[in-house]
Amino acid sequence: MRVPATFWLGKRLVVVAFLGVLLVSGWVLGPRIVQLSAGADPFAEMGRFFGAALSPSLADENPSLPPDARPFLLRLGESLLRTFRYALIAISLAVPAGLALGFLASSAWWPGGMRYGKASVGRTAIRSGLRLLRWACRFLITLGRSIHELVWALFFLSALGDAPIAACVALALPFAGTLGKVFSELIDEQSQEPRSTLMATGASPLQAFLNALLPSAVPEMLTYTVYRFECALRSSAVLGFIGVETVGLGIRQSYESLYYGEVWTQLYALVIVVVGVDTLGARLRGRLNRGATRKSVPELSKLELGRSEALLRRTAPRDWVVRGGLLAGIMLVVISWTNGRELGMDMPADQRDARIGRFLTKLTPAPARPENSTASGPERMEALEGKGGEIKDWAVDLWSRNGAEALLNTVAIATSAIVLAGLGAALLLPVGSRALARGEPFGVLGSASRWVHWWWCGVGFLTRSLFILARAVPEYVYAFLLVGLLGPSAWPLVFALALHNLGILGRLWGEVMENQRPEVPRHWIQSGAGRVQSYCGSLAPLSFNRFLLFFFYRWETCIREATILGMLGISSLGYYVSIAHNWLRYDEMLFYVLLGVAVVFAGDILSDWMRRKLRGEIACS
Amino acid sequence: METMFELSETHKSFGAVHALSSINLQIAKGERVALIGASGSGKTTLLRLLGAQLAPDRGEVRVLSCNPLGLGEGKLRELRSRLGYLPQDLGIVPNLRVLQNVAAGRCGRRSVLGSLRDLILPAVGVRRRIYELLERVGIEEKMYDRVDTLSGGQQQRVAVARALFQEPAVLLADEPVSAVDPARARDVLELLTRLSAEEGLTLVVSMHQLDLAREFFPRLVGLKHGKVHFDGASSELGSEALSALFQLGDKVADS
Repeated sequence: MRVPATFWLGKRLVVVAFLGVLLVSGWVLGPRIVQLSAGADPFAEMGRFFGAALSPSLADENPSLPPDARPFLLRLGESLLRTFRYALIAISLAVPAGLALGFLASSAWWPGGMRYGKASVGRTAIRSGLRLLRWACRFLITLGRSIHELVWALFFLSALGDAPIAACVALALPFAGTLGKVFSELIDEQSQEPRSTLMATGASPLQAFLNALLPSAVPEMLTYTVYRFECALRSSAVLGFIGVETVGLGIRQSYESLYYGEVWTQLYALVIVVVGVDTLGARLRGRLNRGATRKSVPELSKLELGRSEALLRRTAPRDWVVRGGLLAGIMLVVISWTNGRELGMDMPADQRDARIGRFLTKLTPAPARPENSTASGPERMEALEGKGGEIKDWAVDLWSRNGAEALLNTVAIATSAIVLAGLGAALLLPVGSRALARGEPFGVLGSASRWVHWWWCGVGFLTRSLFILARAVPEYVYAFLLVGLLGPSAWPLVFALALHNLGILGRLWGEVMENQRPEVPRHWIQSGAGRVQSYCGSLAPLSFNRFLLFFFYRWETCIREATILGMLGISSLGYYVSIAHNWLRYDEMLFYVLLGVAVVFAGDILSDWMRRKLRGEIACS
Repeated sequence: METMFELSETHKSFGAVHALSSINLQIAKGERVALIGASGSGKTTLLRLLGAQLAPDRGEVRVLSCNPLGLGEGKLRELRSRLGYLPQDLGIVPNLRVLQNVAAGRCGRRSVLGSLRDLILPAVGVRRRIYELLERVGIEEKMYDRVDTLSGGQQQRVAVARALFQEPAVLLADEPVSAVDPARARDVLELLTRLSAEEGLTLVVSMHQLDLAREFFPRLVGLKHGKVHFDGASSELGSEALSALFQLGDKVADS
């Protein structure tokens, strides 16, 4: 049969284009996947490492520890608690900041939102002022997000020394950005009908925002905050790899001492905590969506009006689990702030100022540094003056030496990782989605055999567990382990990113399919199609645009992650960031970080454009 | 008789689409009017013009004997706070309680802080008034339930109670019976006409069910292609005028 030329347009073209992009980025990264020294046997080491998965250690593997040393499990518990504490502190800083940013980045509350005829000059002026403010907030949001928490942490720890609050603030900054972005999107995506009804009956836009738009967004904002807390736990653990005393530090130390059993114990502990929070979030979402219902209606007819109103209010349906959970969360935040190791640094003020002064000096581009490391603000500005040309030469030199290549590698790593993850998720979805992997998909009568039923439920459960496990471990940890096993090439980073994102895409795409209207796929199943046929023929094409939406969202985060994974010694941007950091060349470090920021901004604009286009198409269809 | 609405030679278009052209219409205080017409005939646009939500392109609209075009934002909000509006999708917040949704009805007369207070927990007196209102629409036992746990008919009553709590001079309802079964449609219209008679409200309802419109509304305004096709007492209208209303003209068949 002749295939018409149009066959390769549309969705098929997109898929082929992604495969092409994968090939190109693979070519950029080079063919060598395993890069160990000549005599090394990667398979023996891998065997030893994965063998240890089945026998995690419950005690120290180091035989030469003094007898009064703190036992391994106790240390693990402490470091888990610290991981938890820093994540909580960070989230408690990020949520208020994210709320403020999200509010300011949304235009729904602006005055003059329901004008009649021409707007007055004053209103127009106010609105353009607010537009400026909104752009400023969006810039802050993207800036916060575009620098990875690890990089923020490097800066803060260099400037302030080893104070936990520095790590917490470093975590909080990108999280505030992400929360702000998502909060503003959630607010804007709520149904506009209640808001416009209130405004049609005389409410001001701010009132309509507070009384209609915000309350309807609160459940989703809450569940998203729980999800971000889960991410904060992972990031808090990863901060251990640069020396903050969280679970990551232990993983790194045990791995470098080749105590693989200890590594696995700590990995399992981290996974259990993360999966626990994930489950809590899912429960919370379910309860918030359902809402509490009244168990019994009190007898009202015999009571007078005020009494019956009071009775109704006393017996109002309330979800005590949700309320208790929220209260417990707030209590935990308070405990985190007030208990445990001192958060600030114990250093006299003049010593601290000197330290920050030295840091600022080293942060200034080398040609424009002030003579004196404790220079004041005006002196620094003076030193900067007239050095534009030299700074430019300095930057061009860095760019041509390493910058350009590192940038290309970073983008190639992120892109091949996300395409691989997307491929994996697309292939696993028919057996992993709740919609298909069950005995009777869409309620259509299936095989009479119980075994078939159990088989599909089992396969679905296992695949979803794989997704959960894949996303529970941070990509940095995967990358650290894989670089150790495969040697320093770009591919371990690609695999690490791909594995983590496979878990995330699997979940997000699975949810898209579950939320799809069942009529079309049910019709396929009813007319005799198998699960895979129904997936390829109806579910996947129906969900395609939403799949792409999440794909680009994850691609953006992959770029951010790829810049820092280089810190493990592979020539992406992070490599030069960490080298510059080790040599205390903070100016060069800043240069590479800003390169990363530029890529993320570009990616942000591109994927934003893509998403808006796709969202338009979704709205039309 | 006091005139509530007065439209003279009013035009409204959205881009190239002429939603309404040369509309002349007067509605007096206390009247009950049904706007009838096929979908796309301009019913919703007309309602929104009456509600001072849209400005006309040409011609004049007078709402409660003032021209909204000349008003500043504060005056405009005051005017709108006297116009009850029941949109087709009800416009209630699904995850809030009935009480909070009803209390939001008087936002137009409250400060920002006052409306925040209403959102959290209104004062005792306000709560009693809301309870009474809910009794009148028949869902008082649902006062503290989340709206999305209510049935569709009950949700519609929440929206009606919110509009009444606003203490408006008129009630504009956009297709309140388009998505309900005949028995419930009768229920809703009975409720609306009874309450507006009790409160002395002017009631303007858009709908496309002719039989129900004739039964409940003394005056019918038929719209066709954005023009007033007929306007008169429902008892006087002949069946040929009515049947012409829903005949598909060439214009519609093309689009």
